[in-house]
Amino acid sequence: MKKEELITKLSVIVKPYIQNEEAFKSLSENTDFINDLEINSANLVDIILDIEDEFDIEIDNDSMEQMLSIKATVEIIQIKMNA
Amino acid sequence: MVGNDLVDLQFAKSESNWQRKGFLEKQFTIKEQQLILHATNSFNVVWRLWSMKEAAYKIVTQQHEKRFFAPHKFECSFISEAEGIVFFENNKFFTTTFFNSFYCYTIAQKTNEKLAVFSSVGLPETIDCEIKQQLQELTGVLMEEMSQRKSSVGAPLYYQKEKLLTNSCSISHHGNYGAFAFTLQNES
Repeated sequence: MKKEELITKLSVIVKPYIQNEEAFKSLSENTDFINDLEINSANLVDIILDIEDEFDIEIDNDSMEQMLSIKATVEIIQIKMNA
Repeated sequence: MVGNDLVDLQFAKSESNWQRKGFLEKQFTIKEQQLILHATNSFNVVWRLWSMKEAAYKIVTQQHEKRFFAPHKFECSFISEAEGIVFFENNKFFTTTFFNSFYCYTIAQKTNEKLAVFSSVGLPETIDCEIKQQLQELTGVLMEEMSQRKSSVGAPLYYQKEKLLTNSCSISHHGNYGAFAFTLQNES
């Protein structure tokens, strides 16, 4: 799956949890879940579970550790899908 | 060093489903999952543990300026109804958690430190002003002369011009509440 396509799918997943609409409107690879989208850290786990369901992958604790931005998350999804 | 975390319990009820498949496994160690499943009020234990982990994490990010999401690396144990310990790598953090029907609030400190912690729960919009007010009372520095800056990982620091006033500071927002905890520079 192409990076742009992954970002689009990811934006649908994060939408219910965002608290900053402006940052969501200009979502890009460099968007940070907490600093930009103001997602509650308790909802990060929901995002990770939603990603597992959507892409049918399993995210281990080491991968989860880095998943604070769109960029890092896209990279992990790509690695897991190609595994 | 001090870290804090507040959970708005009504908000947590509507925004998070701890009973969702996989939620507990991703967030908590096996030992913590046992505490949750054997508790009479599992919901409260979920959010007490979560706020303990977050409060401890906020100390770690002030020390190392590195962000990460690794809830499993912070393992909690309870000492009493309010007190607990969070283990993270070679560190131990002492926590105190306050519960009422509206929120669950945890303050964490490094176990070997005995610092005076100034902390309060209020509204998210007024936290910055409340911190400045309390700093004014404690230091005599006028609020108008204070400014908040952020470290590279977003930890708040309060200054009077170039002089750092807080030794450690942590702010938490969730739902309808905001809370702060800080220690003074001369305490270190």
